Amino acid sequence: MSKVLKINKSAEESVQELLKFLLKSGKVKGVFTLRKINDNGAVAYSLVTSLDMLKDAVPLFPLMPANGGKLLSRLTLRGSVAEPVVAVVRPCELRAFIELVKRKQGSLENFLFISSTCSGVYPLEISVNGNIDKKLSQYWDATKRNEIVPDTRPTCKSCEHFLPYTADITIALIGKKDIGNKCEIFLNTEKGQKFVDGIDGEFVEGKLESEEVVSMRNKRKDEKKKLFDEIGIEKFGLKGLIETFGKCIGCHGCSKVCPICYCNLCYSDSQTYEHKPFVYEIELKRRGGLRVPPDTVSYQIGRLTHVGISCVGCGLCADVCPANIPISTIFLKVGDSVQKMFDYLPGRDVEEQIPVTTFKTEEFVEVED
Amino acid sequence: MNEKFVPRIVGFLCNWCSYAGADLAGVSRLQMPPSLRAIRVMCSSRVNPLFIIRVFLIGADGVLVAGCHPGDCHYQKGNYQARRKFAILKNIFESLGLESDRLRLSWISAGEGPRFAKVITEFTEKIKELGPNPAKEKVFL
Amino acid sequence: MKGAILKVTENVANPIINFLEKGLDKKCFDAVLIPVKVPVGNSFAWVLIQNKSLLEDANPLPPVMPVQGAKALSSITRMGKTNKKIAAIMRPCEVRAAVELSKLEQVNLENIFLISIDCPGVLPLKDYLERPEEAMDKFNEILLGACPERSRRAQNDIEWGNESTRPACQVCDKFVGTDLGFCQSDLHIGILGTKDKNIFLIPNNEKGKSILNKMDIEAEKSMDNWEKKAKELMEVRKKKKKEVQERLKFKVMGIDNLLDVFSNCINCHNCRSACPICYCRQCYFESEKMKLPSDDYLMRAKSKGALRFLPDTLLFHLGRMTHMSLSCVGCGACEDACPMSIDVAQIFSFVADNSQGLFNYIPGKNAEEPLSLRIYKEDEFHEVET
Repeated sequence: MSKVLKINKSAEESVQELLKFLLKSGKVKGVFTLRKINDNGAVAYSLVTSLDMLKDAVPLFPLMPANGGKLLSRLTLRGSVAEPVVAVVRPCELRAFIELVKRKQGSLENFLFISSTCSGVYPLEISVNGNIDKKLSQYWDATKRNEIVPDTRPTCKSCEHFLPYTADITIALIGKKDIGNKCEIFLNTEKGQKFVDGIDGEFVEGKLESEEVVSMRNKRKDEKKKLFDEIGIEKFGLKGLIETFGKCIGCHGCSKVCPICYCNLCYSDSQTYEHKPFVYEIELKRRGGLRVPPDTVSYQIGRLTHVGISCVGCGLCADVCPANIPISTIFLKVGDSVQKMFDYLPGRDVEEQIPVTTFKTEEFVEVED
Repeated sequence: MNEKFVPRIVGFLCNWCSYAGADLAGVSRLQMPPSLRAIRVMCSSRVNPLFIIRVFLIGADGVLVAGCHPGDCHYQKGNYQARRKFAILKNIFESLGLESDRLRLSWISAGEGPRFAKVITEFTEKIKELGPNPAKEKVFL
Repeated sequence: MKGAILKVTENVANPIINFLEKGLDKKCFDAVLIPVKVPVGNSFAWVLIQNKSLLEDANPLPPVMPVQGAKALSSITRMGKTNKKIAAIMRPCEVRAAVELSKLEQVNLENIFLISIDCPGVLPLKDYLERPEEAMDKFNEILLGACPERSRRAQNDIEWGNESTRPACQVCDKFVGTDLGFCQSDLHIGILGTKDKNIFLIPNNEKGKSILNKMDIEAEKSMDNWEKKAKELMEVRKKKKKEVQERLKFKVMGIDNLLDVFSNCINCHNCRSACPICYCRQCYFESEKMKLPSDDYLMRAKSKGALRFLPDTLLFHLGRMTHMSLSCVGCGACEDACPMSIDVAQIFSFVADNSQGLFNYIPGKNAEEPLSLRIYKEDEFHEVET
């Protein structure tokens, strides 16, 4: 049981209200949230400091133009924020940020985290066609009815971790029939309770892990199984990999948007991967032919070994792929299986060490020969 | 199975144990197949999984990572971390349906010349069973 | 202009592939760099081929350009000249980009035999990947528009670069690889303007001539027909380009318009990765320099009330423009790679046309001509002095 703040307004308005209260009362100096940036309906994350600008905030807008965790890491890469800032992000973004903090790419200090029980986001493609406004009612209807929202990202539809693990405040959305006029805001931490102290609203006790949440988790699990069965990566082998990544144009956009890929210069973009012509000629002689630029498959498996352990399955990689390769599904599947080896869940707890940075003396003896 | 097939195995050998072990096997004139291409690294944990993937895709028939026995690492704990990285890579290979049997992790100390020869012989036999690495012929990589 | 004529058997690609096979046989070159169908057949990739049998799946004129050819060539020759002689079959914009890259020392053209080919434009990658087979048919129809006799339904040349091709291709007026198109390949393959089932081989320099000689191909036939058709189409394109750029001006001029156009940008920098001219291993805009202390961001947010995050989207695009616009060949690869479908290529080539005009510089025209920023004249641009 945790404390719940009830506001008799729609979820969107309630969050707006909450953010306004926080900024107005001076409890936070900045608000990090999605915001409309023009009349054409484009949204982007913004750092808002004035009440006036907060009017355009759309904290629950079902779109992820960039992983919020990656952005927060950029904000705090050179040191924590000096003044309190509230960040409204989705559970996977929060998990990504936690993973980045573990990698010393950001700082949690002075942040108040608001997250929500997440119904997923639409692929960026939908926003390009300008169709997202039409989809909004469908999105909220499905959320109220406790159904998987159609047309959202495949990784969203099959995401089991839609409850935020480390948020101070959680907006309950999934399966809440009356989010049109009522909103339950769960205050998970003392910090969260302290920050909302003084706000208009009713304080009650409640349980976030409701029946609806459990049934949704099961639905997502089924969806995940379906998704994995469909793609069947365990049958890939070399042939399947070459076929799947044959379309890759080598733009490495997937790593640029990946919240976990934080390296300044990726190893596969580095000089190590540039060869003198004779190297190509040797390969050419052996194979009779050689794809150039090479290393499409090795880039993808390489990235899997580097980020698989921390993949939060946000799905941005597949979204930005110009060649429509289902990268996110492959990463989600492999990530799942690698994370299970260590019973590790990326972003669950900032104290939990990343498995590759630690070890036990008695483990994995089966891989030794 | 092609009888003439001599596997090419790339071995990443740790400077302090396995490389010395290889040396010992050599000076002791122990018999082993001429399949190993050794690369000396300062520690088995220096082996970025990408190295393994790269040599695998270029066409190495087998990749061996060899280091000091657990507890004997020159840098205290490098080999434990190498083991984790290797376990992850192996899992990824399995998840993607790649032949993870072509990858091997072995602990060989500086004094274990005979063990070194045994590992190489065993691994070579195993690779012979598997046949040449299909990645060798692939044009689209 | 003089050249040779090759007979078309099944399709346009056939005689070209035969020509390349012969070239390999006669050791005119040791390997061929050419787009090849990927194993599942749903896209194309650049493959360096030595083994003739691999040429079977090759397509000198694929319907899409997943990777700009100059980029492929650069990955092989960035570190120096090749020992093997390589024939690279590329579209004119790819040849021009390769020449630009050679000036930037990212391509070594020694031992490279550049073959260009009349370009009917390419389809946007997304359109193609959605329905590869349909798109292929569509492209073949466009291609056949060059010679109405071969087309199933009679069509005129305007089909080249029609609405289903990339926006950049629709307004491209440098689609041939001879002096006419300001392109410096060694050998050009003409498809336009054939009365019967032929294609043309037009050597552009001694290197091209000597290879034809070696293969016992005489290049003494008149190419007037081809030249006439190419010039006609070029005029049409020039006019279209002017119209389109007029319209584009209204869309992008001014800071508000620019911000609007780039408002959807998600900072993935795919445009830069796909760009053949952006060769930097690490872009300045991805470097440490762009990672600022949090105070910096907060201060900027406070001064305006809100700060888009990440900020500096426009800085990136304008910055990239200043870095590469003098060498921009207008290939449209950036637009293809943009997940947000921003009109990057159109905007960039519009800006590039203007900045290249300042120096009368045409990228890729001449490998000997120095880059405009590498030289200066004592007596110039006085209008910018005050």
